[in-house]
Amino acid sequence: MIGATAVAIYRSYTGRRLAAAVLVIIGVALAAFVLLHVVPGDPARAVLGEHAPESAVLALRRQWGLGNSMPAQFGHFVADLVRGRLGSSYFYHEPVVRLIGQRVGQTAWLVLVASVFAVAIAVPLAAIAASRQDRFADHAVRAVGVVGLGMPAFWIGIVLIEIFAVHLKLLPVGGWGTSLWGHVKALVLPGLTAAFAIVPILVRSLRVGMLEVLESDFIAAARAKGLTETRVLLVHVTRNAIIPTLTLLGLNIAFLVGSTVVVEQVFALNGLGSLLLDSITNRDYPVVQGITVVLASAVVLINLGTDLLSARLDPRIRLQ
Amino acid sequence: MELDRLVLTRRRLLAHGAKGSALVALGPLLAACGSSGGSSSPSSSSGSGTTTVAGGSSATGTPKSGGTLTFARSVAPTQLDPANSIIAGDVYTLDKIFEPLYVTSPAGQLTRWLATGYTASADHLTWSFQLRSGVRFSDGTPLRAADVVWSIAREQANSDGPLGFLDFAIKKIKADGDNAVVFTLSEPWAPFLSDISVFANAILPAKFGGKTEKTFFANPIGTGPWLLPSWTADSNLTLKKNPNYWQSGKPYLDSLTINYVSDQNQQILQLTGGQAQIIDNVPPSNVASLKGNSSVVVTEYPAWQTDILVLNEQLPQFRDVHVRRAIAYAIDTQKLVDATSFGTAKPATTLFPPSLQYSDPATPTLAYSITAAKAELAKSSYPHGFDTKLLISGGVQKWSEFAQIIQAALKPLNINVTITSLDHAAFEATFQKYDYDMFIDYAINDISDVDEMASFNLDYKEGGSKSYWSSYDNPKVIDLVHQAESEFDSPKRAAIYAQIQAIVAEDAPFVALDYPPYIYATSTNVKGFAVNPGGAYRLEDVWLA
Repeated sequence: MIGATAVAIYRSYTGRRLAAAVLVIIGVALAAFVLLHVVPGDPARAVLGEHAPESAVLALRRQWGLGNSMPAQFGHFVADLVRGRLGSSYFYHEPVVRLIGQRVGQTAWLVLVASVFAVAIAVPLAAIAASRQDRFADHAVRAVGVVGLGMPAFWIGIVLIEIFAVHLKLLPVGGWGTSLWGHVKALVLPGLTAAFAIVPILVRSLRVGMLEVLESDFIAAARAKGLTETRVLLVHVTRNAIIPTLTLLGLNIAFLVGSTVVVEQVFALNGLGSLLLDSITNRDYPVVQGITVVLASAVVLINLGTDLLSARLDPRIRLQ
Repeated sequence: MELDRLVLTRRRLLAHGAKGSALVALGPLLAACGSSGGSSSPSSSSGSGTTTVAGGSSATGTPKSGGTLTFARSVAPTQLDPANSIIAGDVYTLDKIFEPLYVTSPAGQLTRWLATGYTASADHLTWSFQLRSGVRFSDGTPLRAADVVWSIAREQANSDGPLGFLDFAIKKIKADGDNAVVFTLSEPWAPFLSDISVFANAILPAKFGGKTEKTFFANPIGTGPWLLPSWTADSNLTLKKNPNYWQSGKPYLDSLTINYVSDQNQQILQLTGGQAQIIDNVPPSNVASLKGNSSVVVTEYPAWQTDILVLNEQLPQFRDVHVRRAIAYAIDTQKLVDATSFGTAKPATTLFPPSLQYSDPATPTLAYSITAAKAELAKSSYPHGFDTKLLISGGVQKWSEFAQIIQAALKPLNINVTITSLDHAAFEATFQKYDYDMFIDYAINDISDVDEMASFNLDYKEGGSKSYWSSYDNPKVIDLVHQAESEFDSPKRAAIYAQIQAIVAEDAPFVALDYPPYIYATSTNVKGFAVNPGGAYRLEDVWLA
């Protein structure tokens, strides 16, 4: 009986979160659509050139559906979206889905590598800070974190390039590489740069989590059994702190995805971020809207997955 | 980091979001191109280019074949159809694959290319072009007159396309056997040869060689030095040597990788880090440091471009010629260039840059004088000054610096300037709706003939932009522009253009600010690289030492 109730509550919670996710995606799509259409700039004029006759520009706008009212255009966009269609690029003359498919790989790998780096850097730093609370190492880690938050990603990227690519020549300056090993090497510096954008947040939260764990009874018991402080930290504290870290990473994924737009620029990766910026400049509405929806969906789904996982692991969440 | 792509484009014609220009008024014949048609052989194009640049990747030495070069370029292609292309990334990619009858050399001269010359009738209504023998498309098919007829007719029929209007003067085109093409014009049109040299009039196999249009452009076939084995609308591409290229032994390189690198810092780091051998769009502020790098050569190529301050004559204060003249007097272009270009640009005198034929250095200009500026303003209807706004394209440091210098320069006249910055697409849409007081932009030419700049910027009625959205309307100037379009005698044309420049300098519809160059950097082992004043480069002459 208790199990059935818990399942019902969990299903209800999942339903609410799914509904909210759909609403968020529609909201983002609407915001992207409105913002894009209210700012000046005419893609038809851009494609045809300054000397194309006005009649040709108007004909092209009609062909693209830009002559309709804004609500009608948005309705058409949403109707297409529901059918899984994102339209065709005004400039590439290709379906937006295909363009995104060509570019999403670099962005996805960048986010994945950045996430791995973020965890790999944040956990040891948080462990050092937590194990030396209020001592120099703790203050140093926290101070570096604050400074790191203030440093723009492009600057960090350039510094890393100067050191590891230009001077040490260990890694490529930028680009995607032409082989599997080339791709791996190409992702190191951008992955690190993107990771640095969220490492300070992770370190601060993880440090607090670790301090709580360190004060737990089972840690005192572990110490009483004579385990070394290193073993206590690595085996017991870190293992207990890693789940909230992953949850936190999931919640910060939007920030990470957002930072990849800049990181792709700095490292000449032609992923979704690069395509998005070019398409905004060109007022390629279908591409901008398509990428926005895809990125928003990715963020929402990751957040949703994180929420549901957290609720699964911690029943208190789904009852709130 | 410059996020605004407009800084990355070479010319308005080729700019993102902007395009086109007064190509109906395209170029008059060059002095070098007599009725027998054209300048020297194409093989000399690289050598002639080096004479026009300051430094650069010299073509000295014996060219070596082989190798791969990586070009980290600031513009990316989106599609490759010459008839539908206008943005820089498209144009500067497709011109490696497709070629026209004539091209513009790095020295800025029309050069015989797929045509070995032409003959024109005495009334300039019939032009007969001889095709170069031995030219084959990259699939081995011989070039025939029918291909030329089909390609140019296709472009002409595309009247709603970016440059479809360009061929308006062509009344009829027909093949004369397999090796000659005869054009009949509707009127004597001096810019005709320049029109023909534009990338939009590049030659494709007739009827796409039997393929569908989509299939053809996915794996394009041209007469150019490079092949594009596959094309997936990605930003990066690798071009392979065309084994059937008509210039024996060229291109020297086996392949050419063009990577899209929009960030200027990344471009420079790729060059200095050895990952790329050529970069475009070098910021002037980086020129000195790059020149100090022994493994890098920085080259400044003259451009058909003049940066201008445009004054909106739909507003009463700028309809007053004394106000316009006062502003022209008040801006010290030498100081402006010194403060912003790091020695790369030259202060402008006349609207037409010196890289264009018929630019007249003797044009009497309103040289900087604050005394003269105050005297002019005193004669105007606004002797005590006024408040105004200056619109600029955002994200480009140079425009921001220009705006601040102009703002300070007009302060002594009590002309109080508020600077407004918009992203480029919004910037263009705004000034094209005349929703501005003053804006900073550039006048450009896309072909080797000054007529384009003259008509687009000065022909209020037919130029296509109402005198570059300034609304400057001087019937005398318009008449002179039209006279030049049908004048085939070079000294007479020079006299007409000198007159135009003098009137425009007096009227001051624009303030000509500076002449900026194209700035490229290459590794020292790159030889034979050159850029024409329109910003194009074909790379068949490039080799690695």
